[in-house]
Amino acid sequence: MNYLFIANVCIWLGVGGYVLFLARQHSVLERRVRQLEIIDGNE
Amino acid sequence: MFRIYPKILTILACISMALMAIGQYAIWFHAPEEMTMGLVQKIFYFHLPLAWWSFVAFFGVCAASVMVLWTGREQWDVLAGVLAEIGVLFSGLALVTGSLWGRAAWNTWWTWDPRLSTTLVMWFVYAGYLVLRSADVGGTKGAKVRAVLGIVAFLDVPLVFLSARLWRSIHPAVLASKGGGLEPEMWTAVWINVLAWGAMFGTLVLARYHGAGLKRRVEAALIGIQEKTLQ
Amino acid sequence: MIASSLAIARKDLRLAFAGGQGPVQAVLLGLLLVFIFSLSAAPGEHFSAQQAMAIFWLCSSFGVVLIFSLLFRFEEENDTATALLLSPLPVQGLWLGKTLAGLILLLLCQVFFFPAALVFLGLDPGDNLSGLVLMVLAVDVGLCVLGGLIGAMGQGQGAKDALLTIIVFPLQVPLLLGGIRIGVGLMQGTAMAGVSDWFGLVLAFDAVFAGAALFLFPHVFRGE
Repeated sequence: MNYLFIANVCIWLGVGGYVLFLARQHSVLERRVRQLEIIDGNE
Repeated sequence: MFRIYPKILTILACISMALMAIGQYAIWFHAPEEMTMGLVQKIFYFHLPLAWWSFVAFFGVCAASVMVLWTGREQWDVLAGVLAEIGVLFSGLALVTGSLWGRAAWNTWWTWDPRLSTTLVMWFVYAGYLVLRSADVGGTKGAKVRAVLGIVAFLDVPLVFLSARLWRSIHPAVLASKGGGLEPEMWTAVWINVLAWGAMFGTLVLARYHGAGLKRRVEAALIGIQEKTLQ
Repeated sequence: MIASSLAIARKDLRLAFAGGQGPVQAVLLGLLLVFIFSLSAAPGEHFSAQQAMAIFWLCSSFGVVLIFSLLFRFEEENDTATALLLSPLPVQGLWLGKTLAGLILLLLCQVFFFPAALVFLGLDPGDNLSGLVLMVLAVDVGLCVLGGLIGAMGQGQGAKDALLTIIVFPLQVPLLLGGIRIGVGLMQGTAMAGVSDWFGLVLAFDAVFAGAALFLFPHVFRGE
C-alpha cells in the first residue's frame, strides 16, 4: 500500500512540478516582453 | 506562428482535468482489486499511460525533426525540444512507478523487462538529447544537428527493444508476465486513463510550446534593441 | 565515391599517426579502464566472461568517442572543412572515409585491449577465434558508423567529448549487448548458429545506421 502511495506522490509531484515550472517561466517571460516592448517603443 | 490561442489551451486543460477526475474514479472505485497483487496493481493505471505517451512524444520528436530537415522552419525545432522534455518527464515517471510496482509486487527494484529496459535506455538517450540542446551543440547549424539527433534517437528504439528482449530470453524470467488477462472494468479504467493522460500530454505540450514562443519573442525584441543601439 | 573515401581515410590515418600520436589517448584510456575495473575483484577472484566482455566493450566505446573526436578535429583547422565541401567529393564519401579511418584506429586499439582483458580480467577466448574476430568486426562497424555521424556534430565545441558521450553511449546499447552476448557465447563454446539471433541484430543495427548516416550526414556536416 505504501508503494502505491509513494507512486502517486511521485507522479503528482513530477507533473505538478513541471506545471509550476511552466507557470513561473510564463510570468517571467511576460514581464520581460512587456519591459522590452516599452523600451523598444521609447527608442 | 507561436501564438497558441489561450482559449484552446484553457479548453484542453479543462478537458484533461475532467478526464483525470473520471480516470481517478475509474481507478479507485470502478476497477476491481487484482487477485494476486492486490491494491498495489493499481500503479499500472498510471504506469501504462505514462509509458505510452512518452513513446508518442519520442515519435513526435522524430517527426518534428524530419520536418526541420524538410521545411527548415524553426517552429518544428521548438516543437521537437518541447516533446523531448515532456517525453523525458513522462518516461522518468513511468520508470519510477514501474520500479515501485516491481518492488511491491515481486520484491525487486528492477526487472529486466524488455519494455522497461527500452524505456530506461530511451530516457538516457533523450535526456542526453536535451543536454545537447541546452549546450547549443552545432552552433549556426544547430537546428539541423538537433534534427539529425532526434531522428537517430528514434531509429534506435526498435533495436533497443529487440536487444532487451533477446537479452532477457537467455536468463530465466525473474517474474511472470504482468499478470493474466484484465477484467473488463480494468480495461475501461486503462482506456480512460490513457485518454486522460493524453489530454494532459496535449495541454503540457501546448503550454510549453507557448512558453518557447514567448522566449523567441523576447530574444527578437532584444536583438531589435541592440541593433537600434548600434545604429 | 569509394576511391575518394579511401583517399580521405588514408589522409586521416596519416594525420593521426603524423605527430606520433595516433590513437594513443584512446589506448591509454582503455588500458586504464581495464586496470581500474580489475581492482573491483579481490586478488585471486575471477571475473565472469560476461563481466570481462562488458569491460572490453566499454573501453571500445570510450575509444570510439576519442577516435572520432580526433578525426573531426583535423577539419577544424584552417577552415579545411569548407575546402572539403567545395571539392567534388560527395559529402557521404567524407563520412565513409572517416568511418573507415575510425574503424582501423578502433581495431588497433582493441589489439591492446584484448590482451589487457586476458591478463587483468582473466578473459578466456576459447577455441572459436575466427567467430570472435567476426563479432568484433561486426560490432566495430556499428560503433564507427554511429561515431562518424555523431562525431561530426561536435565540431567546434569545447567540451564535445563529454557532451557526445552522453548521447552516443545509450544509442550503442544494442551493439554492446550483442557484443557481450556473442562474445560470451562463443567463448563458452556455443556454435555460431546459437548466436545467430544476436548477429542478426548487430548487422541490422549496422545497416540501419549506415543508411541513416548516408542520408543525414550532409545535414550535420554541411548544415545549410
